Amino acid sequence: MLEQTADVVSVGIGVLAVGYVAYEINRRQRKLHDIWDILGENDEERTELLEAMVANGDLVPYTGGALP
Amino acid sequence: MPTNGAEPESPGLPPRRRIARVGAPAERVASVPDSGPYKGSWLPPTQPRLRIFIVDSGWNSAAREVLHDNFHLLRELQRETPIYLLGRDRSIELLRRYPLLVGRDPIIRVHCEVLRHHRPPGFHGFRLHLGLLKEHDQALTALQKFIRFIGMHRDSQDMEMDMRKKLRMEGLKGAFEVIAHGDLHSVI
Repeated sequence: MLEQTADVVSVGIGVLAVGYVAYEINRRQRKLHDIWDILGENDEERTELLEAMVANGDLVPYTGGALP
Repeated sequence: MPTNGAEPESPGLPPRRRIARVGAPAERVASVPDSGPYKGSWLPPTQPRLRIFIVDSGWNSAAREVLHDNFHLLRELQRETPIYLLGRDRSIELLRRYPLLVGRDPIIRVHCEVLRHHRPPGFHGFRLHLGLLKEHDQALTALQKFIRFIGMHRDSQDMEMDMRKKLRMEGLKGAFEVIAHGDLHSVI
């Protein structure tokens, strides 16, 4: 009985450890993609907006030395 | 046949490429060499393929400080690339329109053209939410990585794909770190 309990506890701890590693990897990847990412469908509208501003002449390349 | 030295319109030019042409400043266009990896492709070699947009609503943050302190370096290292700076008012308007972005600025977006034929035409790119990095060193490292990446991949035919690969590699690296050391250091 004791042996069986020990086995169950070991398996439980192993599952928890694997789950934690998977969670941590997932968390880090989400964080990485929060900071850096490819412009996807969600960004399409913003991309269009910025490009339209450039096309209309509302935005011109910044030529100053330092940021205002 | 143009007689004034202007480039002829490419017949299959996508509309968004037209946008790029209108917005291209003459002095920057002239600074791009006439020869290079794109010689012979359907894209005129004198077009700037990249544009950088900076959205900064003005939060008093370490990321903003880093951006301001090092902006001259960004400009110097990316001389060929037009940098469009949305002022505070425009940035705030953008954040009002997209509230999800609040707290993520300064945002640096790169719009780049992809020359591979199997990719859909139009602009592609990537972005850096610098404002998510709360520590000065983290923000500085990210900005340096950003500038390095653009410098190294400037001539790439598909910079977006390069960034995708880079992110995949960073993800794998992070996974190995977690497995090997249980390292919970923050991601840059």
